[in-house]
Amino acid sequence: MAFFGFNNIKVGGIACAVPSNKVSTDSYKPIFGEEEVEKFIKMTGVKSSHRTSEHQTCSDLGYRAAKELLDRKGISAEEIGALIFASHSPDYRRPATAFVLQYRLGLPKDAVCYDVSLGCSSLVVGMQTVGSIIATSDVKKALLFVGDTAGKSVCKEDRSSAMLFGEAGAVMLLEKTESEADEIKVLIKSDGSGFKYMIIPGGGYRNLNASDEPVMCEDGNPRSLMNSFIRGTSVFTFTIFDVPRIIKEFWAKTETTPESYDCFAFHQANLYILQQIAKKTKIDFGKMPITLDRYGNTSGASAIGSLCDRYGDDNSNSIIRVMACGFGIGVSYGVASFDIKTSDILPIFEDDEIFDEGLFTNPNQLYIDK
Amino acid sequence: MEKLLELLQSVRPDIDFENEKSLIDDGILDSFDIVSIISEIDDVFDVQIRIAELDPDNFNSIESIQALIDSLKKA
Repeated sequence: MAFFGFNNIKVGGIACAVPSNKVSTDSYKPIFGEEEVEKFIKMTGVKSSHRTSEHQTCSDLGYRAAKELLDRKGISAEEIGALIFASHSPDYRRPATAFVLQYRLGLPKDAVCYDVSLGCSSLVVGMQTVGSIIATSDVKKALLFVGDTAGKSVCKEDRSSAMLFGEAGAVMLLEKTESEADEIKVLIKSDGSGFKYMIIPGGGYRNLNASDEPVMCEDGNPRSLMNSFIRGTSVFTFTIFDVPRIIKEFWAKTETTPESYDCFAFHQANLYILQQIAKKTKIDFGKMPITLDRYGNTSGASAIGSLCDRYGDDNSNSIIRVMACGFGIGVSYGVASFDIKTSDILPIFEDDEIFDEGLFTNPNQLYIDK
Repeated sequence: MEKLLELLQSVRPDIDFENEKSLIDDGILDSFDIVSIISEIDDVFDVQIRIAELDPDNFNSIESIQALIDSLKKA
């Protein structure tokens, strides 16, 4: 069991941004048919989602979220000692997107920056990564970026995925404190036997030049090797069997119960899955903010997005105890608990800015400094 | 078998589970029904039907589903 307890570390704030382009799930009815779309909406709860433009990335969205968060907290970029970008949607095949964000935000050279390749579990696993950095170094403040633009890899005619994903970038500020009462706990697991359940099989170094020609797959959806595959039934069985069990293990390990938490910020996979998890763990569904209806499945950003959606305009300045849960591609899954002031939870921002300096349409642009 | 029948009817009350013998082959149950059924089986029988057991033959009739549950319980 990979259980981590961090004392003297707190979550100093969170923020999330989405693109302004809103796509209604109903708009797919001419493509997939009324009945299919209605059934999809009923099961997943996704009525609309926000999608990026061609060259906008989740780091652009995370950048906006981070600027807002640092501004709200009155923290300068110089104070940030670590930046982790945990996502499956990097700006480039290389270098790591963390360096791009370091440059854009103006973080000092002393800051440790790297990417962690994760999808829907990126928040909880990323918290373990950042918690470990802070606990074992002189870093006092760190930024964890999560989020994806998963929809960009989906075949447009794939009815299993085309309507599911929204796009978002989110950021969490973690800080070292003097108080023993500040604690973060994380339990994470992974099961590599499920590496094929959710995958983009081509474009990596195993098959760099894979065909982008779609073929009809056994489930009746067309996809190419460069598209995102989801084996729905396999993913579902993993989530309904393994996720409730890790949640119960976490409660046993931390000697807590569902009543110990004010809010359950869970990855917004789909509505039916969340209802099943809540039912199996006896979590009060009312304590689980749902954003699927307006933002879709936004991968690793979704748990933070759900908190921003529920508490972003809360001015009560109260402290809430949060249990976050992430699960998905890998397969990778985990649970984290932390306290946060509602005044440190920012509302969801809409942003369409693109990092122009980072968009290269001609290799010779790389020889120009600014 | 009564417990299983009750479970199946809670998921799809419109299906005659006592007489239908080709639930998958005839397309009577779809993938969403299957995942709902295996989730309920986990709750009611404490049996986890994993990917390896997701053979369509195991879900064609109430008898085959019961046989699958029994075999997993013994394992």
